[in-house]
Amino acid sequence: MAPTPRSAVVSRTSNAKDQTKKVDDADEVPAYSQENVQLNMRMIYYSRTFLSIVGGVIAGVLGLTGISGFLCYFLIMMLASVGVAAKAKFDVHSYFDSWNRILFDGIGQGLLSFILFWTFAYDIVHIF
Amino acid sequence: MGRRFDVGVGVFGALLLANAAVSTVLYRGDLKIRDEEFTFPSAQVVFEVALSLVLCLWAALKIPGSFLPILSDAKENRVTMFPANLDFMVFNHRGKLFPPKFVEAEFS
Repeated sequence: MAPTPRSAVVSRTSNAKDQTKKVDDADEVPAYSQENVQLNMRMIYYSRTFLSIVGGVIAGVLGLTGISGFLCYFLIMMLASVGVAAKAKFDVHSYFDSWNRILFDGIGQGLLSFILFWTFAYDIVHIF
Repeated sequence: MGRRFDVGVGVFGALLLANAAVSTVLYRGDLKIRDEEFTFPSAQVVFEVALSLVLCLWAALKIPGSFLPILSDAKENRVTMFPANLDFMVFNHRGKLFPPKFVEAEFS
């Protein structure tokens, strides 16, 4: 069996080191202050909940039904996302770990509150 | 004072929305008397609703407070994080052998 050339051994070792180094770089996760992450998320949650209630009353007062009501909800949530991004001075990564927190978190939870107050306001204004 | 102003703005927005709801009820009453069907609220109601949305949006963003930076090495986090963990603070060390030098301050 022919001896393995020294260059091949050296290159194999250096590749392993490079691979190890690349894995270490990929595994590096920035250290976040968990307390502040949760506080910021709670602020977004409070804002979205309040705006869901206001949006429900608005949809009920305007007499919106069906898809138009849900479109109203998503429009208000979009405005809320823009407002939150502006509040963070559009430097999202200093206050949140990803853009999804601002764009999508809390929308599903607010939807039920929206529907409740939408139904309530519509019934009071247009039916009773 | 800033927080009170924001709460006041939110309350005013909610009252404006309630006023829009009452206006819509009265408008529907008028339509019923004239035997007409309700299709869309009046321009005044639409304006009041839009204004209350803006005011409530302002209040919803301002009342919870400001965001705090999440990066551990952020400038704002340095002082608050230092005394958080006293387990690694050691005071019984050899530094006590060297008394501190007190220098009188010179005022010009």
